[in-house]
Amino acid sequence: MSSRRQVRGDRSRGPAAGFLTWNRRVQLTGIGLTLPALVFAFALMVYPVANVVFLSFHQYSPLRSAQTTDAGISNYAWLAASDIVRHSIGVTVVFTVVSVAIEMGVGIVLATLLAKLVVESRQLFGRVLSRALLSCFIVPFAAPPIAGAIAWKMLLHPQFGPVDAILRSDIAWFSQFPLASVIAADAWKTTPFVLFLLFAAILSIDPDQYEAARLDGANGWQEFRFLTLPSIMPVLAVVAAFRAVDAFTKIFDVVFVTTGGGPGNDTQVFPLLIWRTAFDFLNFGQASALAVVAVLVSAALGAALLAVRRLSPA
Amino acid sequence: MIAFSRAERISRALRAGLLIIAAVGIVMPILWMVIGSLKTETELFSSPLALPAAPAWANYASLFQQFHFGIATLNSVEISLGVVVISVLLGGMAAYGFSRYPFRGSRLLLSGLLITRMVTPAALVVPLYLIMNALGLLNNVISIILGVGVLNLPLVVWILRPFFDALPREVEEAGLLDGLSPFGVFWRIAVPLAAPGLLTVALLSFIAAWTDLLFPISFSTTVDATPLTAQLLQMQTGYKIYWGSLMAGGIYLTLPTLVVSFALQKYLVRGMRLGY
Repeated sequence: MSSRRQVRGDRSRGPAAGFLTWNRRVQLTGIGLTLPALVFAFALMVYPVANVVFLSFHQYSPLRSAQTTDAGISNYAWLAASDIVRHSIGVTVVFTVVSVAIEMGVGIVLATLLAKLVVESRQLFGRVLSRALLSCFIVPFAAPPIAGAIAWKMLLHPQFGPVDAILRSDIAWFSQFPLASVIAADAWKTTPFVLFLLFAAILSIDPDQYEAARLDGANGWQEFRFLTLPSIMPVLAVVAAFRAVDAFTKIFDVVFVTTGGGPGNDTQVFPLLIWRTAFDFLNFGQASALAVVAVLVSAALGAALLAVRRLSPA
Repeated sequence: MIAFSRAERISRALRAGLLIIAAVGIVMPILWMVIGSLKTETELFSSPLALPAAPAWANYASLFQQFHFGIATLNSVEISLGVVVISVLLGGMAAYGFSRYPFRGSRLLLSGLLITRMVTPAALVVPLYLIMNALGLLNNVISIILGVGVLNLPLVVWILRPFFDALPREVEEAGLLDGLSPFGVFWRIAVPLAAPGLLTVALLSFIAAWTDLLFPISFSTTVDATPLTAQLLQMQTGYKIYWGSLMAGGIYLTLPTLVVSFALQKYLVRGMRLGY
């Protein structure tokens, strides 16, 4: 404990407190260690983003001609006026909100139950059971998104999917309820992440507080409402924010494999719209304008997330 | 220890039951895919809820005979190795540098690097495609390694920097006093101490590379440079979906990540906790 505090103290005085005498060498070492990563990130992240800004003011269709021609703000004018773009953003927002809400809801319930089981189980059976449950819950997280997408496409298949077989129906889920189906597949994939983080947060609550709550005669619901939930609120907020940013900016594989954005444009989430504009319609100018918007949005969300994270150290 | 009342016992059993049902439900999609991958196409369509009469290994054989899974496996392994090496090496050095040797502007650079973690991959792939095209790297696994690697790098620094921060500083200072160079201290003292953290990021990098779909479908059109994920998509053509092969391929792709995740579950969970 005391050594830990010492380290903390050191950090507040500046990380290099011990080596201040050779300040210069310290600085050079820092630059030397970080330079390879920074060059790598600059060449393949910063430069491409600059390039995409340039392209967004030009017309470039590699199949038609290798030339880029000046397009002014026409790509942005298209973007602002396009129903497809507006629709896509709407779909992405709905997808994000519903998917994250489901993940958080299911995640909280399962994490609470699981934490209770772990705390209460002193016998071998309980410990083996909680181990086995944790191993099951990690499966969707470890499975490749594309494999999960294939699995869900099969589960919801109108002719041989078990869901329709059990319901004795022949609903083509991915065509008739495309967005709901995509959300189900994505929530399945990402709930374990939420579950594990909240599980850890609940376990880190001081057990004495539960003892006190019990002595005060609190029932299970009151215990959850007035002790568990407030205690994990900071973690909950950061996890929800993180998942929302992640869902909004990174949803691609599941949609690409299951619906391809269809039927029509019903599930054409924003990342998919960018990709298809570039690689299906080979319109790199318009795709770049979309990409610029995406980068701006993700940078803003990323900065906000860093700030939130700093405010509530989870 | 107070004896549990009857009501308490019932409520505990109910809660355990609910968890077991949830766990079975969560495993079900993959489990059902295993069952499906062992059915013939006729069985699949005629009796959706039945188990296969005999395991139809032909689905798995078709992966290699029809869908080039031999070369695709090799490509996936190459991509994963490349990404893990780049991520752990560059990310580890950078995280250590940011943690121990701050220089003027390093905080800003670090924030910048961390924010890039939120960049939409699909937005980055558009200009990267043009760069890889100019460099003649399309249809080459190197382009995929670079793309996945650069997107993965911020996460690695994000996880490793706090990890290095938490290591005891005294040992490293002793190393310096004993005449080790700062890089020597990094390599001989910090890296072994940070081994669990490095293993965690190596695991996450492997999963990211092994499962990536975006870069292969953007950068590869030839079989020679296509990994498993993109090869799977060849099984759903416009007029026919090879369901047996698709499910077998899905399981084939899932198995390595599942095995590694179970074996290193502790590190994976730590990665989740440090990674957000």
